[in-house]
Amino acid sequence: MRLERLRIRQLQQFRDTLAVEGLTPGINLFVGPNESGKSTLVRAIRVAFFERHKSTSLGDLQPWGDSSAAPEVELDFVCQGRHWRLHKRFLNRKRCDLQVDGEHFHGEEAEERLAELLGYHFPGRGASKAEHWGIPGLLWVEQGSVQEIRGPVDHAGEHLQAALGRSLGELASSGGDEVLERVARDRAALLTSTGRPTGEYAAAIRDCEEHQRRLAALVAQIDRYRQQVDRLAVLIRERSETDDFRPWEAYRTRQEHARARLDELRALETEQRREGEALEVCQRNQASQRQRLQDFEDRARQLADREAERQGASERLRQCALRQPRLDRRLEEARADYERANALRVAAGQQARRAQWQREYDQVAEQAMDIAADLQVARALQAALQEQELRHQAEVIDNRDLDALRSYERQLGELQIREQVLATRLHFKLSPGRHLTLDGEPLTGEGERLLVAAAELQLPGLGTLQLEPGGGADVAELARGRRRLEADRAELLQRVGVPDLDAAQARADQAALRSTQLVENRTRLRTLAPQGVDALAERLRLLEQRREQLAGQLAQVPEAVVPVPDESRAEEEYRAAEARLRKVEEDKATHRRDLELARQAQNAATDEWRRLDAELQSPQHRQRQQDARDQLTDLRAEEERLRMAIAQRQRHLDEASPDLLAQDIERWGSSAAALEQAAQQRKTEIAQLQGALNTLGAEGLEEAHDSLAGELADLERRRDQLARRAKALDLLLGLLQERRQALTRQLQAPLQRHLRHYLELLFPGADLRVDERLMPEVLVRGHTGDEQRALLDALSFGTREQLGLISRLAYADLLREAGRPTLILLDDALVHCDRQRLEQIKRLLYDAGLRHQILLFTCHPENWRDLGALPRDLLGLHNASEPAPA
Amino acid sequence: MIRILHTADWQIGRQFGRFSPDDAAALAEARFAVVARIAEVAATESVDAVLVAGDVFDAQTLADRTLYRTFQAMEGFSGPWILLPGNHDAALAESVWTRAERLAAVPDNVRILDRPAVCVYADVGFAVLPAPLTQRQTPVDLTEWFDTAETPTGLVRIGLAHGSIAERLPEAADAPNPIAADRAVRARLDYLALGDWHGTQAIDDRTWYSGTPEPDRFKDNGAGQVLLVELEGPGVPPRVTAHAVGRHAWIQRHWSLAVASDLDLLLRELAAWPPMSVIDLSVAGQLDLAGHQRLEQALAAAAGRHRSLQCATTDLRLQPTEADIAALRADGYLGEVVAELQSRQERDVARDTARDALAILAGLLLDPGRQERQP
Repeated sequence: MRLERLRIRQLQQFRDTLAVEGLTPGINLFVGPNESGKSTLVRAIRVAFFERHKSTSLGDLQPWGDSSAAPEVELDFVCQGRHWRLHKRFLNRKRCDLQVDGEHFHGEEAEERLAELLGYHFPGRGASKAEHWGIPGLLWVEQGSVQEIRGPVDHAGEHLQAALGRSLGELASSGGDEVLERVARDRAALLTSTGRPTGEYAAAIRDCEEHQRRLAALVAQIDRYRQQVDRLAVLIRERSETDDFRPWEAYRTRQEHARARLDELRALETEQRREGEALEVCQRNQASQRQRLQDFEDRARQLADREAERQGASERLRQCALRQPRLDRRLEEARADYERANALRVAAGQQARRAQWQREYDQVAEQAMDIAADLQVARALQAALQEQELRHQAEVIDNRDLDALRSYERQLGELQIREQVLATRLHFKLSPGRHLTLDGEPLTGEGERLLVAAAELQLPGLGTLQLEPGGGADVAELARGRRRLEADRAELLQRVGVPDLDAAQARADQAALRSTQLVENRTRLRTLAPQGVDALAERLRLLEQRREQLAGQLAQVPEAVVPVPDESRAEEEYRAAEARLRKVEEDKATHRRDLELARQAQNAATDEWRRLDAELQSPQHRQRQQDARDQLTDLRAEEERLRMAIAQRQRHLDEASPDLLAQDIERWGSSAAALEQAAQQRKTEIAQLQGALNTLGAEGLEEAHDSLAGELADLERRRDQLARRAKALDLLLGLLQERRQALTRQLQAPLQRHLRHYLELLFPGADLRVDERLMPEVLVRGHTGDEQRALLDALSFGTREQLGLISRLAYADLLREAGRPTLILLDDALVHCDRQRLEQIKRLLYDAGLRHQILLFTCHPENWRDLGALPRDLLGLHNASEPAPA
Repeated sequence: MIRILHTADWQIGRQFGRFSPDDAAALAEARFAVVARIAEVAATESVDAVLVAGDVFDAQTLADRTLYRTFQAMEGFSGPWILLPGNHDAALAESVWTRAERLAAVPDNVRILDRPAVCVYADVGFAVLPAPLTQRQTPVDLTEWFDTAETPTGLVRIGLAHGSIAERLPEAADAPNPIAADRAVRARLDYLALGDWHGTQAIDDRTWYSGTPEPDRFKDNGAGQVLLVELEGPGVPPRVTAHAVGRHAWIQRHWSLAVASDLDLLLRELAAWPPMSVIDLSVAGQLDLAGHQRLEQALAAAAGRHRSLQCATTDLRLQPTEADIAALRADGYLGEVVAELQSRQERDVARDTARDALAILAGLLLDPGRQERQP
């Protein structure tokens, strides 16, 4: 299908006629900013096809506020090799005309014809909605909705399927799906989606397991029953073989006999024990008598010990007394030593002090001598200083006066030079012996005078010459100045007391020299007597005083005649002597104590010996000793008798061995009791077992078991049947789904081919899977085995947009192959595309443009400049539109 | 002339788990009924005694009611019943017999020979040498004492034992409770009444297994009878006649279907079996869909006529014909699935699953509802 021309009138902002002529096959690019009428153009095309001309719900088509307008659209297009012209007017003077190669259709007939041609529907009533739009709804993309693919594909579904031949339809309508659904339902009744048993099947399995459990319990019970029966048989046999003969009674009789014999032996044992005790008493008494005798001997031995002790004590006393004289002598010597050492110590101390004094005396004397010399010098210096200071004061000239003098001299010099310049020079050279007098001054020989004032030259002999120098006032002025200066100088010289400047200078020099001397002398004096001369004198006096005192002390202590050790050694010796003395004194005290102790010991030992001796010599003592000896003899005889009796009886007892006999009694008793008890227990157990078996037997265990086993077998049959059915259904469902899928894939192949054609450009190697309704579903990227699958909805907006476009182009190709009209409208599509993709998309659109007419509207002309299509500016179109015919 | 009825292996209390609960109950019930019929035969034939050679009861612990009913079923014959404990109902310290005694369920004319001792019936003219089992099984021949046992002169010597004749059957080679094959000769017995084998069988002219009076398995031959034994006197060989008393025939058959007419043969035989039989059928081979439907119908009809009908078709393949498939109208992928299932039936694994699946699919496709909806 190809649009050739479009005219609209009184439609939204186009109050007048807008004509778009010369639309080309392939891509037609419309550019213009927002509100320039792009959307109106698109809307016009959509309205022309989708809306009934009689529709009343299209008020928005009229230009704003113009309710009398009759919006009009006229379209020329080629389709299926024929030329079509559609003219539609809405709201006012509604009409619809369709011409095709001379044929005319009007009104609804025309509209139905178009719908059939392009593949869409009209709504029953009201405005046309997306679900009516069919194929154009898919290929005519409204602004910003290129990524929306599901709805449009769904709405176009029936037309798409029609385009794919009837195959897809058959897939759904042959009844296969119904069968599949029933199989799925039947399977679901038995198996979950993961293949686990459910419902009746699961219940059957559970029932089987439950029965198996119960059966196992019954088997165990039967087993127990059988064991009890066996046990009962054993017990009954044992009873008849053993218990009926009452074997315990024989044991009891033997036990009685043994007990009588044992009683006899027990009596003998008692006698034996008694005599044994008597023997022990006898032996104890013997020991006691022996002990007494031993005691007597011990007393005799003690007396000897005491004697020895007594003698020992005496000897120790004597020895002690012998040590006394030597000790006394040592004490005496020690005392003498001590005294001597003490005297030496005192003398040494005196001599030491004396030596110290002597040293001090010498020092003091020497010091006094030095100070006396210094004092003498200091006094002389002091006198000289006084005289020098007086002189200095006389000589000293103020420096200012000196400077003033120098200044006078200089000024006078300068005046003199000026006077000489101005003055009248009187040069004279007199013959020897001749003279002149100038103002009273005799002149002889040769010389020169300057005359600054009138002078009178007396020429001896000749008279007087009155000389009046020239220069007049100046010379007089100079002379006056000089005189004033000379007067000032004279006054100063007088005040200073010097004849002239040289003398003043000499005096100043003299005063400076003397000042230096003064400083020197003062320094010397300060060195000699820092605190002054009087202080020095006082110090000398004190030294003299001390010397005299020391001399006195030295006189009192004479120098030792014999040599005396030094003080520390004397002290040391003294201490040693003292220590020795103390030691000897201690020894002496110790000895005194020892002597006293020895004396006491000797007295005590003597007393002890005397007492014991007296006791041993007494007659009672002798008697007691004899008694003890006699008793011991008697006791020995008694012991011998008892020993013999006991040995004899013991032999008898050993032969009879009563302990073994007692064990026998116990053994026979236990055996009898055990046998009897066992018999009793058997009896009880037999009764119990019979009771229990009776009860259990009545339960009909084996019958119940068989019955339950029967039920189980039945349940298992049912379970197996269900399992078999489940398996069969599972297999069937799997096969049906598999085959159906294979068929679907086969039917989708053409669409897939077209899709792949575009995908290659944009997503190389990728595959877009479509579902059986031809709906794009999953984008598969990467190689087999490492595939990445993404549901369409999970992809980015941009990618979804691009896939939306690709899908639409593929559908268009598919429809074209099926001989259906295709016209593609893209209103501001793909604004979310990146540069690189956009480039590919342009290639892709260009490629699609070779097969389909594409109207592309955009407000971004710069993006589409290289699309290979001449852009039409909507604003330009607007302006070129001719005014509406009246 | 002495006339006795020889029977054994009543197996009262046996449950038949492999059948449906209804059938199982009926088969258990049949065992009481056959005792009543034996009593009837005994009465009709006016026998001198009925000898039961062991396994009267199937187990030791049966419900009291079962014991009562057993002895009540014997009421039809008031002559002596001589019962021997077998391996299922051995005379243990506590046994079904002690319980029956305790319950006072045993009538006076019923005697239980639970000791190996000669039992003289002088008035009738015979002495019974019983070999009761006092353990569930024993490796020794309990009839050995017969050889040396003395009986009053002039009385017919009848042995009564329960076990396997040694070295007679291969499967009984090491069987417990052995009995020497020549026991009758060695012990100078006029008749040795045996129990344990469920089919009627003569070991020699004087040694017989009566078999069970009511069949309870498929493999036994000649089950469902009692033996009428007529003894002229000591030393004279007995005359033995079998009387059928069983209610249900147990039939086990395997059919292999190769050609279409095989199915006709099968259906014909199915129709010929006696009513109230217990049938275990297995069918292999292949069938077309029509044949399959016929078989299903025939089996359903037979199930109504017989006590129990079980049919295993694991090895049966559905082989739809072209016409079958056309009738299914399995176009498109359904057709492919049908073909796939057919080919899968030829494989070794899970071929029955494939056949089931095919049957289900065919069932769905032939569903009248669906057929109507199809244009």
